[in-house]
Amino acid sequence: MQAFRGAVDRIREAEYGPRGLNAFLRLSDKSDTDVSAEGALARVPIAVKDNMATLDMPTTCGSKVLEGYRSPFEATVVRRLREEGAWIVGKTNLDEFGMGSSTENSAFGPTLNPHDPGRVPGGSSGGSAAAVAAGYVTMALGSDTGGSVRQPAAFCGVVGIKPTYGRVSRYGLVAFASSLDQVGTLGRTVEDAARLLEVVAGHDPRDATSVDRPVPALAEAAAEGVEGLVIGVPQEYFPDSLDSELLERTNRVLGGLEELGAELRPVSLPNTELAIPCYYVLAPAEASSNLSRYDGVRYGVRHSGDDIQGMYERTRSEGLGAEVKRRIMLGTYALSAGYYDQYYGAAQKARVRIENDFRRVFQEGVDVLFTPTTPGPAFPLGERTADPVSMYLSDVYTVTANLAGIPAISVPIGVVDGLPVGGQILAPWWRETLMIAVAGTIERQMQESES
Amino acid sequence: MRVDRDEVRRIADLARLGIDDVEVDRLTDEMNRILEYANRLRGVEGEPEAPEMNDPHDAGVSGGTRSIEVERPDALSDGIASFAPQEADGFFVVPPLPGMSEDRKRGQPEVDG
Repeated sequence: MQAFRGAVDRIREAEYGPRGLNAFLRLSDKSDTDVSAEGALARVPIAVKDNMATLDMPTTCGSKVLEGYRSPFEATVVRRLREEGAWIVGKTNLDEFGMGSSTENSAFGPTLNPHDPGRVPGGSSGGSAAAVAAGYVTMALGSDTGGSVRQPAAFCGVVGIKPTYGRVSRYGLVAFASSLDQVGTLGRTVEDAARLLEVVAGHDPRDATSVDRPVPALAEAAAEGVEGLVIGVPQEYFPDSLDSELLERTNRVLGGLEELGAELRPVSLPNTELAIPCYYVLAPAEASSNLSRYDGVRYGVRHSGDDIQGMYERTRSEGLGAEVKRRIMLGTYALSAGYYDQYYGAAQKARVRIENDFRRVFQEGVDVLFTPTTPGPAFPLGERTADPVSMYLSDVYTVTANLAGIPAISVPIGVVDGLPVGGQILAPWWRETLMIAVAGTIERQMQESES
Repeated sequence: MRVDRDEVRRIADLARLGIDDVEVDRLTDEMNRILEYANRLRGVEGEPEAPEMNDPHDAGVSGGTRSIEVERPDALSDGIASFAPQEADGFFVVPPLPGMSEDRKRGQPEVDG
C-alpha cells in the first residue's frame, strides 16, 4: 500500500485539466493530515462511488434528481473506512443509480478510460475504476449489481471484488436492485482490494441481509498458492465467438495455474444462457419499486405540476435519465397484472436454476471457477448507447454471480488490442479467500512474465 | 409478446413517468427489442430441489435470519430535525402539494422545493 500526500490537489489539477477523466463528481476539502494516522488504512487515499451516503459530501447517484442531495447519515462502509483512518478523497462518477455498463449514463457526463480516452471505463463503477487505474487513489469502493465492479476493473486494468451477498452491509448504499446489490472493492493489487474488503466486511444490524459470519484474513489470502485446488472451466463462458486473443490470454493463465499444481476441470453450467434475460427482468423489476421514492416529495429535485400526479410525473421525467426510465418501464411492465408470471415469475425460476448450476459444480468438488470477466476489452464511447441489448450483453459473464449470490473477483490478465482485459474467478458462498488466492497467484505470474 | 404505444402509455402512467410522443415511440421500440430477448425465459421450469452443499452454514442467496432485537437507526439518534427543515409532532412538514385545498395548506411553511 502506498499513501501519497497532496493527492486531492493533484487530482484536482489532473481532473480539471484538458485531459481530465471526469472520474470524480466531488472532491473532499479534507487533506491527509485531517484524518487519523491510526488504523488499518491510516491516511490511505480512497475514493467512494457516489451512491454511498457520506456526511461531508453530497450523494447524487449520478442523477439530476439527487443533484446536491446531502444524506443525514453515513453508510456503514464509509463509517468503517473512517474508523480505520482512511482518507476519503472524493465521490466517483457512475451510471445513474448504477444502471449501465459504461458510465455514459451519468447525468454529469461520462468518465473516460485512462488507457484510451476514446473508450469507456466500463460501469457502473467507472469513476472508481478509472480513479484507481489513473493512480489518483490506492483503492476505491464500488457497488456490483450485475458486474458493476468487475467489468470496469477489467476495462481499466485493475482488480475488482464482488463479495458474497450479505458479506458487506448495504446500509447507506442507495438501492438499485436490493436482492443483487453488493458493495465491492477495487485496488491496484489483489492484496489492496482484499484489504479494503476486510475493513468494510462484517455483520451490520442495520442491514437485514447482512449475515453474521466471521470475516477471514482476506488480504493474507492474496499470498497463498493454488496447489491442489480444482479450478472449473465452464464451457458456456468460452463460446466459439469469444475474441481469439482473449481466449489465448485465458488459456495462458490456466496453463500457468496448472503448472503450479492446480487441477483444471471442464464443467458445464447449462442455465447460463438464461442469465441475461433473467437479470434484465429482475433488476428492472426491483429498480421500478426502489426508485418510486424519487417523486419530488422526499428527496432532491421537485418540478411543479398542475396536481400531485402532474408533479410526480414532471419531477421523474425531468430528474431521471433515459436508461433509468427504460428500466423503470420494463420493471413496471414485468410486474404488472397479466405479465407477472410470464416475466417476473419465469425469471425467478431461472434464477434458482442458475444458482443450482453453481451449487452442483461446487458440490462435485470444484473449488473455484475461472472465466473471462468480459467478452472483450473496453469499447469506444458512444458505440452501444443506442442499442440497449448490446450494452446489456457486456455483462454476460458477470451477472451470474449476482443472481447466485456467490463472490467473484476480476484480475488483469494482459492486453488485447492494446487494452487491458480481466480474468474472473468465482468461488462458493463465503469462500472469498479461495478466489483471492487464485487471483494473487495470477497476479504474480503476470508480473513474472512482464519482467 | 410485444407492447404497443397504448400499452407503453399505460405503463408510463403506472410508473408515474410523464413521456411525450417521441419518447413513446422510442420506448415502444426499445422495450420490444428487450422483451424479445426476455422471451427466452418462456417455458422455464422451476427446480424446487436445491442440491445440498457440504457447508452446513451456507446460506446461499437467502442470507441469514434477522435477530429479533431491533436497533434504532442511528440516523434518528441525531434528532428528526437533521432530516428536514421543519417538523411537527414527529412528522415532517413539507411544502404544500398542488391540488390540496386551501384549508389544508394553512399552517404549512413557505418552502420552495
